Amino acid sequence: MNERPDTLEMQEPPARPARELTRRRLVEHLVTIGAGALAAAMGAGAAVAQEREGRLPGAHTAASTGRKYRYGMVIDTRRCVGCKACVVACKAENRTPPGVAYTVVLDEALENRPNDKPLFMTKPCFHCEYPPCVDVCPVAATTKRSQDGIVVVDYDRCIGCRYCITACPYGSRYFDFGENYPAVAWPTPYSQVPSLEYGQFRVREEGRSPIGNVRKCTFCIHLQDQNGAYDRASGRWPACAKTCTGHAIFFGNFNDPESEVSRLLRQRQAIRLKEELGTNPNVYYLL
Amino acid sequence: MYVFDERIGRRRFLKVAGAAAAGAGLAGCARSPSDGRAAASAAEAVQWGREAGKWVPSCCNMCGGQSGILVHVVNGTVDKIEPNHWNPNNYANISSDFFDGYTEEYGCKEGGAICPRGNAGIMQLYDPDRLKRPLKRTNPDRTPGADPRWQEMSWEGALGEIAGKLRALRDAGEAHKLLWMSEDHSFTHIQTDFCNLFGTPNYAVHSNLCDVARKASLKCVVGDERPLADFGQSRYILLFGWNPTAAIKWAYLPRILTRAMEKGARLVVVDPYLSDTAAKAHEWVPIRPATDGALALAMGHIIIRDRLYDQEFVRDWTVGFEEYAAYVEDKTPAWAEEITTVPAKTIERLAREVATTKPACIDVWSGPGHHTNGVQGGRAIAALAALVGGYDRPGTLILPDKKGDKHIEVEPDAAAGKTLEHPRFDELDRYPLGHKSGVYCQMFANLAEGKGPYQPRMLVCVFQNPMMSVPGTASVAKALSKLETVVVIDTMMSETAMMADYVLPGTVYLERYDLNSHWVTWPALGLRQPVVQPIFGQLAEYETITALGRRLDLREKSGKPFFHVGPLSGQPVEDLTAWYEEYLSQELKEGAPKITLAELKALPGAVWVDRKGTQYEKYASPVPEDKLATAWFNGDPQAEGTTIYDKPKDQHGKQIGTVIRGKPLRGFFTPSGKVEIVSRWLAEKKDAQGHTINPLPIYTPREWQPSPDYPLYLVNWKEASHTHTRTQNNAWLLDLKPDNPVIIHPDTAARLGISDGDQVWVESPYGKVKARAKLSRRMHPEVVGLQHGFGHTALGRQANGRGTSDAQLRPTKADPLSGQSLNKECCVRVHRA
Repeated sequence: MNERPDTLEMQEPPARPARELTRRRLVEHLVTIGAGALAAAMGAGAAVAQEREGRLPGAHTAASTGRKYRYGMVIDTRRCVGCKACVVACKAENRTPPGVAYTVVLDEALENRPNDKPLFMTKPCFHCEYPPCVDVCPVAATTKRSQDGIVVVDYDRCIGCRYCITACPYGSRYFDFGENYPAVAWPTPYSQVPSLEYGQFRVREEGRSPIGNVRKCTFCIHLQDQNGAYDRASGRWPACAKTCTGHAIFFGNFNDPESEVSRLLRQRQAIRLKEELGTNPNVYYLL
Repeated sequence: MYVFDERIGRRRFLKVAGAAAAGAGLAGCARSPSDGRAAASAAEAVQWGREAGKWVPSCCNMCGGQSGILVHVVNGTVDKIEPNHWNPNNYANISSDFFDGYTEEYGCKEGGAICPRGNAGIMQLYDPDRLKRPLKRTNPDRTPGADPRWQEMSWEGALGEIAGKLRALRDAGEAHKLLWMSEDHSFTHIQTDFCNLFGTPNYAVHSNLCDVARKASLKCVVGDERPLADFGQSRYILLFGWNPTAAIKWAYLPRILTRAMEKGARLVVVDPYLSDTAAKAHEWVPIRPATDGALALAMGHIIIRDRLYDQEFVRDWTVGFEEYAAYVEDKTPAWAEEITTVPAKTIERLAREVATTKPACIDVWSGPGHHTNGVQGGRAIAALAALVGGYDRPGTLILPDKKGDKHIEVEPDAAAGKTLEHPRFDELDRYPLGHKSGVYCQMFANLAEGKGPYQPRMLVCVFQNPMMSVPGTASVAKALSKLETVVVIDTMMSETAMMADYVLPGTVYLERYDLNSHWVTWPALGLRQPVVQPIFGQLAEYETITALGRRLDLREKSGKPFFHVGPLSGQPVEDLTAWYEEYLSQELKEGAPKITLAELKALPGAVWVDRKGTQYEKYASPVPEDKLATAWFNGDPQAEGTTIYDKPKDQHGKQIGTVIRGKPLRGFFTPSGKVEIVSRWLAEKKDAQGHTINPLPIYTPREWQPSPDYPLYLVNWKEASHTHTRTQNNAWLLDLKPDNPVIIHPDTAARLGISDGDQVWVESPYGKVKARAKLSRRMHPEVVGLQHGFGHTALGRQANGRGTSDAQLRPTKADPLSGQSLNKECCVRVHRA
């Protein structure tokens, strides 16, 4: 018989899995990488502040912003069946660890609905026009990009203070405590696959970013081409929207009046969450 | 390279950062990965990322749905699974929907979808708890919980010993004393061949734990085991105990259902639990478990009373209407209200709505099916669909034209032929509406109690976990302990594997082949292929079977050494994988696609789709001339009702039509050729308990009713987050659903003094399990419920100890008509722990 040789040995778990980020280790981590980032932030801060001044007119509607792109989503709650495929697809695309989910599906019962009937709703980061998270960051690690409005985190600058988590009214930000799924914690072939996030190709490693950083949805920014465009046909499209079983998640450019998302906003009645805060989210819900 | 912000610019940022760090004199900056990473990212983009590696089209097997996938493999590692846009299973079950906007370059217009489990296949493949090497038990004590004292073996050694046990059976003329059970979608043909050549009639598969009650009901009424709901074109959808947007078997289900509602269809879900599908519905109709048939009969009563039925369809295409009408004359809404708890007024309204909104789609799945009155209840629902003309027309239940690979049956040698004459150990013949998948419950009950036609000696169990999935864990354990040899092939150390003598590591679907004839309404076949080599160097299951077949030198009647000779070439093929590739090529060549395996691989998405598409009202079409020329008539070819077969009945002829109104029409594949509201042939049969069967779809209460000691019904169900009992070690899926609290209505809980979050005992005469209580008005007040699949004591470190198993609370008992396991027939008491 032609028996195959063992091609792979999955090793036994390390004596102490590289998962807990103790308080002491967090402080050490901040001292080693945070100090440099803090210093850097002081230098670059001026430029970032300038960008913040340039808030764009017309942001309260989905009209053009003058930016190259204004990316956003329109989520049809009638089509969402609460399956959570989006949550898992996002995990695979961005390789987020336990406790970090760039999108979640709300499925709790609402008080005013009979029979504890749940309302399903997927909830990514809203990439607000006036993102409260950006304003509170002491090191300008989180910014709203001038070219497309995507709110990003620079892991090399983030000191993990988590002010932004408190500031975000939508609970869209997560702290990476350094936990790992078993397939990553134990040396398997998969644990060596780098994350594509921000095109930085980081292999998850104890003591290295993004462990100890705040993390959030990026609209799968790493799938943009060099010009900042997405392309659905070649799969360069946010992972949640690509897998949605109800086809409930629409993604696109609000600056383009002919985009699918712009058309949906014209045709259907849309709401945004916590409008009263003036954050002006770029994610709309169809009811 | 990634640019954080075009205005600030990466380079400038780095310069500033470097200067600042240098000024501060901090060595820490050197540890910052930014500089090195930025420079390296261009190179890494070539090595990793979407353009690196390859995208391999295949089919999912995280559940039995087999939807299409595209798997990204980089440097030999799977890092992403995405939907396969060329596979209709991911998009639509009706061809016009699928082909509208379809292109060869992209596939279906909006792109396909895959469910959470499909996305989580990576965690299944790289689960550190997977079985890696063959194991042999050294502790003879096979009571649950005993340490098996596993000893690792080489593949050579394990196959040698297992083949030795098999050979001993066969040499003693006791080949029939081998029981073999497997999953129902993967490599079933090769296992059938092995069992036939070896000489055991005892091959059984998973289906009888699933939907054989529905299969039996619909086979009786419309002559097709699995009609498929065309939600997309429907205006009114009435579902009895089906949860398609959460028990997502085929990835197209959520899309076609929500799209139907978008176009104006009304969705009504009848279920004791407000399922996730009911949460999307316009109306949830809470019902007492196992009374769906009574509701359907009362609706039939109103539809006939008010002459709302489809008179033309009933006249031309049904039999037994008059008898049925007489039977339902006293099945009033008030009668049904007593039984079902559904208000009579609601029943009146639903009946009128479903009969006057066209087209209406009425369907039933396993909710009502897993009870002792499930088949008759299913027939009552199927009869209701007949009243509104709800078959094989757009927007109704379509009879699928399912064609794909062809299983070429083997001819066993004389020795095997002799042992094959023994009856099946699971007594399938006693079940008048039994399914070829067998009767797991009867098999395990017989074993445990020492009953049945003979005493089996050996079991091979492939990717099945009866200790968790078959009702009555205690008797399954007892049954397993009575066997001389138990071999389990699985990817995980399941509870059943813990009871085995030999455990062979199996393959995850990303490591192996399969052909999947898809459950859409026109012919389509998708390929599953190894996207990575088996990661522990293990054999794929079909290779294990072939290797055993070679060791046993199993031969066909002609003397041909079946497992040595390439099925297409007729030449000896040494390599196990190459031999199976030829086997699959032959099935494709002789099946509907008429292409080789290599040609199938080259098709867009590795899926073959027949362009002729969905055909409607097939029942009214004539039997094609060419088929008629070679047909065999079961009686006078001119006489009304004569059944037409493709070849003589005693040569396994299949029904292809019936003489109707003087013409050879396809009709329905029932004895009358029509929709059988009354199945007269059933009157001549007895069920497995020896009772006569009523040819009418009558309502009788199920056997096990609540009592003062066990006053609550217990039901179970599935959700999108997990498959059966096999995904509870998948870390991503556990994030979605970590356990299964017992759901109790707040009024019921208040009466029992139970608060949300309390630990409670759920107790039946057969067992007692602990669960966390969750209070919700989603549950009927007379019912409590547990999502099926949790409560593992093995499987892996993540699964072990999570949630509650419901299998322990039931007896190992099958429905006497179909052999369906009774997964929902249970009454319990619940009290605080």
